[in-house]
Amino acid sequence: MPSLVILVPLIALLILNLPLGEVMRKASFWVALGFFIFQTVLLFCHHFRCICGSERFINSFFGMDVSVDHLSFMVMFLVNIVALTSLLVARHAIKDSDARFNFINLIVIASAGMNGVTVAKDIFSLYVFLEVTAVALFIAIALQREPRALEGAFKYILLSSIATVMMLTSIAVLFFAAGDTSFASLKSALQVSGKSPVLLAAIGVFICGLFIKGGLVPFHGWLPDAYSAAPAPVSVLLAGIVTKVSGIYTLMRLVAAVFGFKAAVCDVLLFGGTLSILVGAFAALGQKDFKRMLAYSSISQVGYIIVGLGTGTALGIAGAIFHFFNHAIFKTLLFVNAAAVEESTGLRNMNKMGGLSSRMPVTGATSVMALLSNAGIPPLAGFWSKVIIIIALWVSGRYAYAVIAILAAVVTLAYLLIMQRKVFFGNIRPELDGTKEAGPGYVIASVVLAAITVGAGIFFPYVFDHVIIPARSALLP
Amino acid sequence: MGNYIPLLITVPCIAALLILSIPGRVRFVREAIAVLAVTVNLIVTLILFRGNATFSMPWAGFGFEFILRMYHFSGFIVLATAGFGFLVTIYSTVFMNGKKYLGQFYAYLLLSVGATNGAVLADNLALMLFFWEGLLLFVFGMIAIGGKNAFKTATKSFIIVGISDLCMLAGIALAGYLCGTLKISAISLPVAGLSGVAFVLLVIGAISKAGSMPFHSWIPDAAIDAPLPFMAILPASLEKLLGIYFLARITLDMFKAIEGTWASMLLMIIGVITILLAVMMALIQKDYKKLLSYHAISQVGYMILGIGTMVPAGIIGGLFHMINHALYKSCLFLTGGSVERQAGTTDLTKLGGLLRKMPVTFTCFFIAAASISGVPPFNGFFSKELVYDGALERGFIFYAGALLGSFLTAASFLKLGHAAYLGTLREEHKGVKEAPLPMLVPMIAIASVCVFFGLWNSFPLRHFIQPILPAESGAPSLPIATGAPLSTGLVVMTLIALAAALLNHFYGYKKTGSGVKASDHIHYAPALRGIYDKAEQGILDPFNIGMHWAAFVSRVGWLCDRAIDWLYNVLIVQASLLIASGIRRLHNGSYKTYILWSLAGLVFVIYFLLRTV
Repeated sequence: MPSLVILVPLIALLILNLPLGEVMRKASFWVALGFFIFQTVLLFCHHFRCICGSERFINSFFGMDVSVDHLSFMVMFLVNIVALTSLLVARHAIKDSDARFNFINLIVIASAGMNGVTVAKDIFSLYVFLEVTAVALFIAIALQREPRALEGAFKYILLSSIATVMMLTSIAVLFFAAGDTSFASLKSALQVSGKSPVLLAAIGVFICGLFIKGGLVPFHGWLPDAYSAAPAPVSVLLAGIVTKVSGIYTLMRLVAAVFGFKAAVCDVLLFGGTLSILVGAFAALGQKDFKRMLAYSSISQVGYIIVGLGTGTALGIAGAIFHFFNHAIFKTLLFVNAAAVEESTGLRNMNKMGGLSSRMPVTGATSVMALLSNAGIPPLAGFWSKVIIIIALWVSGRYAYAVIAILAAVVTLAYLLIMQRKVFFGNIRPELDGTKEAGPGYVIASVVLAAITVGAGIFFPYVFDHVIIPARSALLP
Repeated sequence: MGNYIPLLITVPCIAALLILSIPGRVRFVREAIAVLAVTVNLIVTLILFRGNATFSMPWAGFGFEFILRMYHFSGFIVLATAGFGFLVTIYSTVFMNGKKYLGQFYAYLLLSVGATNGAVLADNLALMLFFWEGLLLFVFGMIAIGGKNAFKTATKSFIIVGISDLCMLAGIALAGYLCGTLKISAISLPVAGLSGVAFVLLVIGAISKAGSMPFHSWIPDAAIDAPLPFMAILPASLEKLLGIYFLARITLDMFKAIEGTWASMLLMIIGVITILLAVMMALIQKDYKKLLSYHAISQVGYMILGIGTMVPAGIIGGLFHMINHALYKSCLFLTGGSVERQAGTTDLTKLGGLLRKMPVTFTCFFIAAASISGVPPFNGFFSKELVYDGALERGFIFYAGALLGSFLTAASFLKLGHAAYLGTLREEHKGVKEAPLPMLVPMIAIASVCVFFGLWNSFPLRHFIQPILPAESGAPSLPIATGAPLSTGLVVMTLIALAAALLNHFYGYKKTGSGVKASDHIHYAPALRGIYDKAEQGILDPFNIGMHWAAFVSRVGWLCDRAIDWLYNVLIVQASLLIASGIRRLHNGSYKTYILWSLAGLVFVIYFLLRTV
């Protein structure tokens, strides 16, 4: 069964590319929509069985070990949600039907790659799926051949290739030590010779590679350019889930399953996470470009997830997983809002906007919910995850980190409120008077995402007990 | 029986709400409802007050039980409240006729009666505080409807009483914390340490409700601004009854404050200071109502002094003085109201010779004034003698202060009576008539009670006052039950003081040739003149001093607020933006920079990991 999550996207890809000429090009959106909905339903059916039987599904796919646990389910669910959103945005944002068809193909490939990442049980196949995802995204960013997008894509390729080098080097060293690349044997090998400097360095190199993928400071150079230069649906996909799955989820999985919560590793995570929180938050404060601001905000929020992971405690990891979930939802929502604004007004400079709430009520209202969740205002979901992370920091005795995390939450609120005031609040600017909602795709996507973030906040105890805690026990039994 | 006790609270309150809901155009209905309500209240009280009964009902939880207790002490106060409520309402039907905000006036009056009943009957401190604070609201409302300046005075009273009520709240919380219960009849604390603090806080609440110094300064202002029946019902009677009732409960029941403790000393000092300072101020007033209002403060001093002595004679005297004061002071205010309504002014310099035009009013005034001055055989004489007796037992200085107060009281009432009723009738007052019957009846009724309580003082003492004292204090053996003063020496001294007041008045009258200026030789005495000037300007008013300091504190607070605002709005924002622009400048978009950062990060991470090996 787990191999289905890789097989199904590949079958969808085949269907999309059936030689039916114009018909399939026109129908591609609906085929992809159907595929993602089908995959979501499949996940849920399976998830319930998994919950009922509380078993881990281990399977083999072309000789690769794959397994599915609750964390994988949660991440795959997020992949589907964000891919659906991206698809809805693409329907409006990419006007050229050829480009849209290509992009839809790329989303399906990327989702296959991300599904593979979530189920991989050995470090090399993990790497392969990462590369599949990354290559799909390189092309997607540069899809419309705009100079800025090309530059963004090129930066992404350049730094990703460095990450590739790092990860491959590290895999090679680990392979030599363990004679195998599966998580289990790597873990036992590391336990036997845990003090070996070469292996420690290899771990460090791998972590740095994942930091690049996840866009943590100071490995984040590619991220603002790629996020802001990419076409709207691509930035939704990239910011909403790709970076998180390929950088953060893999880091969580590897630290828990392979590297172990060594004190030194935890310190690296805490330090890198806190640096990201601070630099991201302050950089976001100084941005004029809507999407660039969101990109820096992403860096800052990813920092929270890494810090939660870095506590190494059950509570902190639960908080990290919950924040992962929330961040995927609310950051996707904010990027959808930014895309909607760009679609309607053609603007990305926030200083030139104003009062759009009166003309785009759904976008305005949902962005407020995303903002509040992102800034950690109760009772929205983002509040709970941030609070859990901060409490975990405090309980584990990392007081300074906890204080910084709290203060950075204030800065987060500040830059998001500045955004809100500049873009949505106040009186409409005369030149923007004719603005309308960008289209039904944006509206549906924003409402669904806002409903999830509000619902997860209000039904926090249920979500925490039935989604987050099982996912946590996948990492820390 | 107990089930009917809540009627004493609900009847006035429901009537008040009814009155408020009747539009202003409808005449006489509001008066009718008010009279009906106070009559029902009086009847219910007459039925209930002799019994011992409790009414209890579970309330909000956390120890806040709705529990009312009727016993001899609370029954006595409730009876007095009902009586005054009834008489003042009757009086108001004529006095307030044609005035503005009539509905609000009656509503507040009835609510005050209800709240007083509630506060007196409550056997739970939290419940008592609820009614106690409610009274504050109705006082505010009653003053505020008085006219233009009234709102300012109302605010002043609200702040002063509010602050002392806050002390009360703190005291109740502390007492409840120390005792583990808020049930008044279950509380028993010593006056030392933390429970001493609770005692002081509760005493502040009680005596400020009674109008003692230094919580008094709103009363003279209210005398000018508020409607007159308000003065007769609240500062003159209900608030005294309530405040002194609670003071007695604190000192006799809740705390073991006994003779010779600092608590007793504190109360006696407050009492004597209040007597002297307020009566000094009363002496120089040139307005009928304002003069009376200072006496309303001064006389509280006798009650506090009496209770503060902590000896049976003093306590009985203080409590007897409480009821006597409520009687003669409300009677005096009502005569003031008659003069105001019939002659159109209460300014003593513009009055004179009203004796022939308003003989009944004058008679009532005369009885009440003789009472307050402690002239035998009126009621005030006996209660003052008891207080003197207690004070003398505790120290000569307290007795001397009280006696001096008595002298000044007599002097100021000689002046008031002389200025208003004697002397030559003014041209513009030729047509003045006696007040109408509904105003005369309450005055006559109260004045008769004054005479009755004086001539047959053993009746109130034996039936109302003595049962209040704990049985073990040996009260029944006191000779006061016979109605005779305790000591011939004290009586002689009192008579000498009264005679001195009379001589002083004649001296002043001869010197200036006018009744109203009869006290000028004291007013402009070399040492006192400067102090009086300052007091008249309000410089010595504790409220003004407090407000002055409050203004200073608020100024400082404002500056701190600005500073913090600056910190948040300027410093932190600017610093944040500076950091933000610095970070933005670092992101120069160059591939080289970003790759270098990544490599530097890599080196750092590997160094950090290997450092521990």
